[in-house]
Amino acid sequence: MASISARRLSKELMEIKNDGCPVGINLIKADDFSTWWFTIEVMGESLYQNEQFTLQFRFDPQYPISSPAVQFIVTEGKQAPVHPHVYSNGHICASILGNEWSPVLSVIAVCVTLQSMLASCKEKQRPIDNDRYVKHAPENPKKTRFHYDGECQCYRIIPIQDLTIRFL
Amino acid sequence: MADESLAQSSPAGSKEDGTEQVQTPKHPVEITEDTDISTLSAAQVYELNQARNLLDLTADVHRPLIDRIVPISQLRAEYERGSPSFVQQINYLESQGYSSLRRTRGDGDCFYRSVAFAYVEKLLHASDPSIAVASALSTLEATPQILESVGFEKMVFEDFYEVLEQLVKNVVSAEASVFDQKLTDEMLLDAFQSPEKSNSIVVYMRMLASAQIRLDPDNFAPFLFHPELGEMMEVREFCEHFVDATGKEADHVQMTALSRILRLNIDVAYLDGRGSTGQVEFVKFQPGETTEVTASSPICLLYRPGHYDILVKSVR
Repeated sequence: MASISARRLSKELMEIKNDGCPVGINLIKADDFSTWWFTIEVMGESLYQNEQFTLQFRFDPQYPISSPAVQFIVTEGKQAPVHPHVYSNGHICASILGNEWSPVLSVIAVCVTLQSMLASCKEKQRPIDNDRYVKHAPENPKKTRFHYDGECQCYRIIPIQDLTIRFL
Repeated sequence: MADESLAQSSPAGSKEDGTEQVQTPKHPVEITEDTDISTLSAAQVYELNQARNLLDLTADVHRPLIDRIVPISQLRAEYERGSPSFVQQINYLESQGYSSLRRTRGDGDCFYRSVAFAYVEKLLHASDPSIAVASALSTLEATPQILESVGFEKMVFEDFYEVLEQLVKNVVSAEASVFDQKLTDEMLLDAFQSPEKSNSIVVYMRMLASAQIRLDPDNFAPFLFHPELGEMMEVREFCEHFVDATGKEADHVQMTALSRILRLNIDVAYLDGRGSTGQVEFVKFQPGETTEVTASSPICLLYRPGHYDILVKSVR
């Protein structure tokens, strides 16, 4: 029997193919059940008019019990949105990607949440500790334990084996 | 309360190891493994649990998700070094026939995992398993529709539901079972020790509790407080943050909700080192709808600040 991760992702993919993505969100790559790419735009009036970003999801075999690793792509000429919770390396400080992840959420639900996070932005600026974080950041944002206190200036980088332990 | 914690904090401060600990109730005290939890204030216990939740990701990893039954004396031995009030309470439990326990990993999911395990085990040991399973299935099979009615997408819960349903069905039927045989104690333990199955069932338990709260907002709304800030929360917000999210511990609200939706009596023994009589308070969660449910024997959990294990009346 296929793993729960593969079963769930195939259902999510089928739903996207049948019903399409919400406005402003487009699936551009889903060749396997490990990495998916979406483009994301903020519709209507916002600080990000005419900007398009690329969002990457990486899934481990424990998805959806464990959260996907989600970040903006910052290579190939792509850039992360300038936002108080988005680091210039594409890492995102959002509780639903960390300690408030729930298997109730789907890939599309995460996209919509991040889209509305951008839509409600009042001032385009990087997190206060952007430079410091980007210098030391792990490749996988799931290795970072962010503190979700409104201001992105507190995080701890934890060894990945600690993170995966509860699902071993 | 403040007076009590003040009065009790002095013995813990002068331990034999000779380290001079200057303690004032307002400032953080150094908490070691010998510290008697009963000497701490509620806020300190909360902090301790928060710290432990982080540590537990590594510290508790060697403990299986659900362990084999052990005599309660094993737990007592852990408290004998510095927690007389806990030892007294464990003696009390033993005198009431609670001779053993089944420990669970302290990962924030322990309440849901304990309930789920004890729920299936109760069916397995029922005097007439086919009646018990039929009754459980009639309740369980109605839950996917309840989940949909409160807004959960079928896609997000059906895989988890199937794992639980299959396990319950295997109590009386070998169909689609792992070794083409009916569920045994050993297979049940295996299922709950296998992360994919075990966590799938935990996720479904969370969704059930969440659905019950969302279904009955009038009843639950007055009790939905942020566990750290103490502020009132909206039903949806509470469920998303403190019920649906993996690893978030359960409190009275979640326990009441799960008991109701599963129509399951849950007794929780509070081993908190408080009180002077050495007795243990049992809090009963009862769906209380029909006499049939009320009459059925409860599953029993042991609560210690921040953690739940399964309490067992006697080894079979």
